[in-house]
Amino acid sequence: MSLTLARLRGPNSEGLLVAVIVVIVVAMSFASPAFFTASTFFALVRSSMVPLIFALGVLLVLISGGIDVSFLAIGIFAAYASVKWAIDGSADQGPLMVFAIAMAVGALLGLLNGVVIARFRLPTLIVTLGTQSIFKGALIAYVGSVYISAARLPASVNELSRAHVVDVRGGGYLHFMIVPVAIVAVLVALLLRRTVFGRSIYAIGGDTEAARRVGIRVVRTQILLYVLVGALAAFGGVLHVILGRNANPQSLVGTELDIIAAVVLGGASIFGGRGSVLGTVLGVVLVQLINNNLVLLGIPSTWQRAAVGMLLLLGVGVQAIAAGRARRRTVAVEQPVEPKEVLA
Amino acid sequence: MSQQMRGLRDINDRAGAAWAAALERVHVARGVGRMALLLVLTFIFFAILRPGIFLNPVNLTNIGIAAPEIGLLSLAVMISMLTGGIDLSVVAMANGAAITVSSLYTAVLTSQGQAAAEQMTPLFLLAGLGVGLLLGAVNGLLISVVGITPILATLGTMQLYNGLALVWTGGVTISGAPTGLRTMGRTAVLGVPLLLLILVAAAAALAVMINRTPAGRKVQLQGANPVAARYSGISPRRTLMMTYITSGLLASLAGLLFLSRNPSASADYGSSYVLLVIVIVVLGGTNPMGGFATVLGVVLATLTLQVVSSGFTALRLSAYEYAIAQGSILIGVMVLDHVKFRRRPPRPAPPVPHEAVPTPVEH
Repeated sequence: MSLTLARLRGPNSEGLLVAVIVVIVVAMSFASPAFFTASTFFALVRSSMVPLIFALGVLLVLISGGIDVSFLAIGIFAAYASVKWAIDGSADQGPLMVFAIAMAVGALLGLLNGVVIARFRLPTLIVTLGTQSIFKGALIAYVGSVYISAARLPASVNELSRAHVVDVRGGGYLHFMIVPVAIVAVLVALLLRRTVFGRSIYAIGGDTEAARRVGIRVVRTQILLYVLVGALAAFGGVLHVILGRNANPQSLVGTELDIIAAVVLGGASIFGGRGSVLGTVLGVVLVQLINNNLVLLGIPSTWQRAAVGMLLLLGVGVQAIAAGRARRRTVAVEQPVEPKEVLA
Repeated sequence: MSQQMRGLRDINDRAGAAWAAALERVHVARGVGRMALLLVLTFIFFAILRPGIFLNPVNLTNIGIAAPEIGLLSLAVMISMLTGGIDLSVVAMANGAAITVSSLYTAVLTSQGQAAAEQMTPLFLLAGLGVGLLLGAVNGLLISVVGITPILATLGTMQLYNGLALVWTGGVTISGAPTGLRTMGRTAVLGVPLLLLILVAAAAALAVMINRTPAGRKVQLQGANPVAARYSGISPRRTLMMTYITSGLLASLAGLLFLSRNPSASADYGSSYVLLVIVIVVLGGTNPMGGFATVLGVVLATLTLQVVSSGFTALRLSAYEYAIAQGSILIGVMVLDHVKFRRRPPRPAPPVPHEAVPTPVEH
């Protein structure tokens, strides 16, 4: 009985998240007939796409035992720079080129993070705080500070922002970009589960010294990880530009903690070694569900932030209490003292 | 057997405590000395480059008025970092206090008139500090009793407090602040802004508490070695609770300073302060892993960043170039620390991030 329950719950409480989402969906459906429609669903998907891409990057860093707060600065830096260069350039090279340039820029900025973190073994939170400040400052001081409106975006990018996969007449549409977003999510999941690199990230996050001793090249893996996260953040940045139909260098930065909250809600451990793509998807969807639809339950929209905070506290509180119980159960064999908690 | 074990454990703990104390002394001296040097150097640098603008009394006064609120928030984060935690909710708590005072004042002003509102100002200020105490206690409860990791607990309460402030104000900036508070923001004693004196007084009180009282020792030991702290009979619950309540009080005091500088309050004020404050605390020589921190180092770091900020303005550099400098200083200091520390390999590392802690090798 408890075994099936445990299986339903999933390794990172994914089952619990599904249950919470179902409860909210049912409650909202009862509260408002307007909720259970295709357009609500499409709107939910649309608003989840950008946070999801960023969240996947955060997930990778959290699993490796770090915390990144520079990913949004990288995202907007790369996206704005590549869009600006595309406008300044003579010919419209198409959106693929914009993505490619942005991801190269993102990877480069990520490399900087990775080298400082891995080479000098500095706390990731502090380093990325510093680079966040540098990236945002450099973007506005040296690349550009002007808001680029839809009218000035490259034509091909504008075209892409109007592309739909499914178009329900009078019932909204499913944006084309969901296809690459889904592919990226699946790729990250495969990377984490099926590749040596992915397993190494878990190993480093679980116990760096042990990982080193079984022969994992910690420095190289960490640098590669931050390069990858930088490219992922750049992808998210371009996606943000496409969906928002504008490139604003002042946007994005400042909401890092919201994304991290969604990932933590999705069951990833802040101490590293634990987390899944499925959980992250659910965490992001849950937050967006609340943000988009709280009004339907008759709760004013000003409650959104408080509600997400409440939910986050509830989620981590339940986890902490469960962990405390598990610890007490093992008291007989182990020292009755928890290990010192570390802020990475 | 248990006798022998206890003896061994005793020795072990005592050695651990002595080690922590030794490390602490080294670290403390370095943090303060470095920041004092950096402050003097940056000051001289800008004074030589732009003496007309930078040394202008108005400019110096502005530094003295802008620094205190950031300094108080930094001290609030510092004490939580001293126990090995962090408090991300300080700005939300400060805004909570500012909003409380502002709306109480406005409410009494409209219902009972100016005189009554001014008369009740001390009560409002106490209410503001009370909000800080309450919110800090909630943080403390979540961390010490429920057992949530500080960074997660305060990430959640930051969202929650900020969200509640949004609900309360309806997302708009509310205006109104007691006249007394506003006068305080404009007063200077012998040319020194009163706000700066408040920061100095609060910092001195905190320094005395940390270094000279049993409670402060407990906070330090909790961060340096929680295991040793527990075996010394220190209740981690009570220590953490007190730490986060202090943090809340300091944050709410910063909130009162927000109001004294600018008679309006909103849920979104100073959202960029959270990260700035962490930069200051780390620059001030605080070990993010806990155990070491100095009040003086943090105050000096606050002033240094404020000097750099105002110096950049005097040089007509933008806020964004200041952001670049801020990030570069942070990473530069950390890398320098690391390089210096590498040159002396025999000394075990002060705990850096857990991925970097070298396991002792037995010879």
